[in-house]
Amino acid sequence: MNFDFQHCIRCTICVENCPVFRVNPDFPGPKQSGPDSQRFRCDGETSVDQWIGLCSQCKRCEVACPYGVNPAEIILREQLNYGKKHFRAPVSRLFSNVYYLGNLTSLLAPLANKLVSVKFVRRIMAFFGISEYLNFPPYRFHAMERSWPWKGSSKRARKVAFFYGCYLNYNRPDIGRKIRDLFASMGFRVILPRQVCCGLPALGNGDLATARRLANRNAAILAQYIDRGYDVLYACTSCGLMLTRDYPGMLDIEAGKKIAENTYNIHEYILKLLDEGLLDLNFKAVAAKIAYHIPCHLRALGIGYPAARLLERIPGLDIAVLDDMCCGLAGTYGFKKKNQETSFKLGVIAAQALKETAADCIMADCGACRLQLSQLSGMPARDPAEILFESLNNVVNSSKR
Amino acid sequence: MNSGTYDAVVIGGGMSGLTAAITLCDAGKTVAVVSKGDPVCCLSTGCIDILNSADNPLQGISALPSGHPYGFVGQDAIIEAHERFIKIGAEWKIPYIGAIHESRQIVTPLGTRKTTCLIPKTMEYAAYDESDYIHIVSFKGLKDFYPSYIITRHGNAGHSVFDAAVPSTIGIAERFEDERFRETFAEWIIKQNIPEGKIALPAVLGIRSSLSIYEELSRRTERTFFEIPTLPPSLPGIRLFNCLKKALLARGGRLYWGNEIASIEKLGASIEGVTLKNPGRVARVQGKAFILATGSFVSGGLFARMDSVHETVFDLPVSYPEKRSIWFKETFFSTGHQIEKAGVEIDSSFRPLDGPFENLFVCGSIIARSEVMKYGCGHGMAIATGYAAARSCEGFIT
Repeated sequence: MNFDFQHCIRCTICVENCPVFRVNPDFPGPKQSGPDSQRFRCDGETSVDQWIGLCSQCKRCEVACPYGVNPAEIILREQLNYGKKHFRAPVSRLFSNVYYLGNLTSLLAPLANKLVSVKFVRRIMAFFGISEYLNFPPYRFHAMERSWPWKGSSKRARKVAFFYGCYLNYNRPDIGRKIRDLFASMGFRVILPRQVCCGLPALGNGDLATARRLANRNAAILAQYIDRGYDVLYACTSCGLMLTRDYPGMLDIEAGKKIAENTYNIHEYILKLLDEGLLDLNFKAVAAKIAYHIPCHLRALGIGYPAARLLERIPGLDIAVLDDMCCGLAGTYGFKKKNQETSFKLGVIAAQALKETAADCIMADCGACRLQLSQLSGMPARDPAEILFESLNNVVNSSKR
Repeated sequence: MNSGTYDAVVIGGGMSGLTAAITLCDAGKTVAVVSKGDPVCCLSTGCIDILNSADNPLQGISALPSGHPYGFVGQDAIIEAHERFIKIGAEWKIPYIGAIHESRQIVTPLGTRKTTCLIPKTMEYAAYDESDYIHIVSFKGLKDFYPSYIITRHGNAGHSVFDAAVPSTIGIAERFEDERFRETFAEWIIKQNIPEGKIALPAVLGIRSSLSIYEELSRRTERTFFEIPTLPPSLPGIRLFNCLKKALLARGGRLYWGNEIASIEKLGASIEGVTLKNPGRVARVQGKAFILATGSFVSGGLFARMDSVHETVFDLPVSYPEKRSIWFKETFFSTGHQIEKAGVEIDSSFRPLDGPFENLFVCGSIIARSEVMKYGCGHGMAIATGYAAARSCEGFIT
């Protein structure tokens, strides 16, 4: 057992930062469910904390804690412990395997998209515990995994492997291809390595075995590329957190440390090259007023807000940075009916703050944040990479494949 | 790995650190704030104590023993710093009431009076006479707020309980952000037929829009309200912190939040950068100058062993009463514990005295002899020294 929880002085700063606690009185908050309860938990004991699953794993408590306690991690371990000994709802089992679901849905894209927009079908899904308030993101047949898997000659000195993650893969492959082409146009050899889900949804749905299986598959491939001189890039901040933190940490993957050390957020990576003088970019003006919603997992990565720093170089772009709201969706969390009310309430709060900025559009690195916030605010939502691509379009021509 | 290069890097995201960062941003500098976590400010009453031991803080400051950090700031800069603070509060709709030359009183959850100086608008009417009728509204299931303490101290008081369906200050505050809830609450207040006098509430009037909630409630019910700060979680403290953080972000300041400093990169007498602990690759933040605003013991800026006190980031020399036997007075609640004097000695440019670095500045309660509890000068001293250290730092950069 990890005894870091004993550093807790019960100051309640984590409680102040917990989005779920704000709107759902059934959740006792990160202090009680984390360090406070931990004193009563023993290794090998069956968990009795039914409410433990109400934590959305946004990790805001960890970022806020000034004493180095990691309430979210304590809670996650207990969620897994609870999942081991108790019946897991079908919806949790389904969402643990959201990758395979995406795989299938993408193959049947036009039909599947139609189907989930039918009210009656949504009723049936609701019966099985899936939220009703959100429209599902459309799935694309022409997924990233069916895109041309490399660009730029293998002789190029700078090589990157792009871990695009499930959302860009199945739902927004257009953004994924833009990122691939952007890096190729900047003189990189870009590879889209064979990959599966990072494993985060499985971890969040109490299924450690699936998470570990997926992580091992990714780690084996990514480690090979790293050994051959590639840096690994991610765009999705939740995949990034999983790769750099949970692979070496919670999942204890053998190549985890190597992956964590060689994996970068795409904007962080471009900034690094600009700072080192290895890249010279000619940013074209983009006239837009943008409200930048900082995803919780970007905060948790501890790398600052690289997209904000990079995009501030684009002339004409006006960015307001908002970092104190959680969108409430938290990946598959808000798609579960039992969390519907919590997610909806948090989403409305965050959407309201974004609307008040009077911006033209929302920007967020995380696909789930964009999905939730654009539906609840009625504003368009974009990935920072799209805006970057637009600004650097003069050097880049995106291809369909 | 380089995660950013800035004119100035502020270490510590509390009152003094954020004030320093905002001051530098206003001077056109690029600034990053590195913080291990949220500051003690979030647990505070949200009131700005400037010098509670005096009726006129400004006069009191000039009578402080030499060596107190206020002495290094100087009267004009103290006034300027607080005027700027009040402007930022107004800008982000957390207006502060009061003037720096006049102490004010608020009510504590124990019914005692607390002396302070600048107070949030929602506590404007907290001062009352013996003859005033005070009606306390509390909330069903809310822990750590006991109206009977206040009633036993102030006889002319009444009490009613509202059921907000949530038992925490944070939960209730979130409910107040909802217009329909405010409507229900206002109607309930009217129906209570509360005798003439002021209505006191625990500080739960919203998280983000306390001012408009407070004004709307007063308007709907035609009554005078005031908030009583609660035990942590403390909404007025959170509002104050959020206000300063938003002000900084809006000025282009950057945050590196949630990770401790792993190492210092130095070249001769100059600090070049700091690296931040991270399970993966360490992040590196570089700057031309650094400001240390890590606070005292509670915030982790200072660390005490059995017989010595240490500064935790740069291992700067710390002055403290030598013998542990004189560190503490006999009773916990007495003021003037000698250990409060511990801290980093500074020179008139807010650099550490005898420190090894020329581009390091210090502000806030980590400065030696600030004795925050004894003088009641917490946030005020943080604002004043944060501003002054930033000014000195600005002169160094340019």
